[in-house]
Amino acid sequence: MSSRVADAGVEAPAAHPSPSRLVPWFAALAAYAVPIWFVLAPMALFLGYSFFSVDKGNIVFTPTVANYVRFFTDPVFLPIFWRTCLLCLAVAVLCVLFAFPVAYFLTTLRGRRRYVLLVLLLVPLLMSYVIKIYAVRSILGGNGMLNRALLATGLIDKPSMLFVFNLNAVLLTLTVLLIPFAVLPIFLSLERIPKALRHASADLGASNAQTFWRVTVPLSLPGTLSAMSFVFVLAIGDFLTPQMVGGQSGFTFGRIIYSQFGTAFNWPFGAALSVILAAVVIIAIRLGGRVESSRGRIQ
Amino acid sequence: MRLADRIAPALLVLMTLFVFILLYGPLMVPIVSSFFTVSHGAVDWSQPTTSAYVALAANEGVLNALWTTLVVGSGAVVCSVVLGTGIALYYTSPNAKGRGFLQFIIFLPFLMPPIITGLALLIFFRQVEFERSLVTIIIGHTVFVLALVYRTILTRLQSLSGSLVEASYDLGASRWQTFRLVLLPNLSSAMVGAAVLAFALSFDETMITLLVTGTQSTLPVRLWAMMRLGFTPDINALVALVLLFTTALCLIAVRFLMPKSAVAGSDED
Repeated sequence: MSSRVADAGVEAPAAHPSPSRLVPWFAALAAYAVPIWFVLAPMALFLGYSFFSVDKGNIVFTPTVANYVRFFTDPVFLPIFWRTCLLCLAVAVLCVLFAFPVAYFLTTLRGRRRYVLLVLLLVPLLMSYVIKIYAVRSILGGNGMLNRALLATGLIDKPSMLFVFNLNAVLLTLTVLLIPFAVLPIFLSLERIPKALRHASADLGASNAQTFWRVTVPLSLPGTLSAMSFVFVLAIGDFLTPQMVGGQSGFTFGRIIYSQFGTAFNWPFGAALSVILAAVVIIAIRLGGRVESSRGRIQ
Repeated sequence: MRLADRIAPALLVLMTLFVFILLYGPLMVPIVSSFFTVSHGAVDWSQPTTSAYVALAANEGVLNALWTTLVVGSGAVVCSVVLGTGIALYYTSPNAKGRGFLQFIIFLPFLMPPIITGLALLIFFRQVEFERSLVTIIIGHTVFVLALVYRTILTRLQSLSGSLVEASYDLGASRWQTFRLVLLPNLSSAMVGAAVLAFALSFDETMITLLVTGTQSTLPVRLWAMMRLGFTPDINALVALVLLFTTALCLIAVRFLMPKSAVAGSDED
């Protein structure tokens, strides 16, 4: 399509050769100006900051790798980093476990019903994130719905503190918040599986369960993995949820980064931690996307 | 095996139901409790009241925050739709340079955690000595929603037949006329859908805003500050109203972005 536009585009201004030569440059300038100035420049500066240091509240602009050395050698940061990664991985796994049956159920529906249900699953995505955290917190609290429900059923005889202002609360809250993000990629990959494959499997004598485990699940793996990386990336960058439901013990990597720009006031160190976060995110996106692209090559 | 085949669909329905309860259930709590008073930390269920809503209407901080949010949202929508359309047009133009690179930059704030985008902008504004204000929030929101707006418009642009533009040029239209009379009408529904989506995202954006805001607070930032202090009926009332508003926005966005093709495409199955 673009080549057709190309011919037309070149022909039109041919009568005025000199402006037409400038037009592409102006266009390029206009298109690149904002992204470069407000995205690339800040990100580059950010990367630069991670190599600076702080002395008595002032930033020292002498390059140093001290921030990174501190991260890898200090006994505080690395354990929190690994714990956060593990937490987010657990969130990703939980989200997929919840989202997969839902996505599968969606594919068994037809026409309008399927899309109405899909939209209903996606609507919470656009609902206020802060409000969702608040809502979940009101359920998890020591005097919250979950505790009261458990007490009422007699499963426990005093309010459980297992999920009150700690990492478990963060885990549960993030899972509830991020399930919709997992549904979509899994649904799309399930939808893309040709029906003929499942029919063929049945024709060859496989039971429904065998077809599910040996045809559907492997073919939906790319979607499942990208769902996991999606959820992981969203979870690891979040500092609001841990702050709201994590309490004193629920310290996560995102919270530490945020505190470097607030109470701790060490921007360069915060920048270095963020660069490490960015690296983890890039790896996660790569892992999630890799299977997708390698499958694309096979087809 | 027969038994399993019969149980499996029922299990699927149950799981889906459970997920729906997980997604929507918690939201019901503040909505319901917004109609009751809280005294000594316990909700008084005996008499429903709208007093929380009345109190909210008199809460100047919240009203200011709402106004800020609307200004920021409108600003971000206008900036991101104009930029997104321009960049999408540039991307599809034959002379475009470094398409992949440009797209990569635009997608960065969307792919990276908001905390990184927010902190990068925070440092940047400080370095160029740009006072943090409403403008910085609008810039933050614009770069955040740009990827989505751009992608939505680009998808529509690429689905248009090239012969449309060709015919326009053949009939003697200038570039500007072609854009205004041929492309724009075809892009308008995608632009409106993208604008609504962008507004919804901006309306909710908290993490970037927290970092790049000066003294103003948008509604989510205000809510965030209120919520950290505890549960009060006026928070619940505000929550209920915000939920109502964002749900309406979602449904409007869906109408513009997911019409015929999606539903029609599903019928083949």
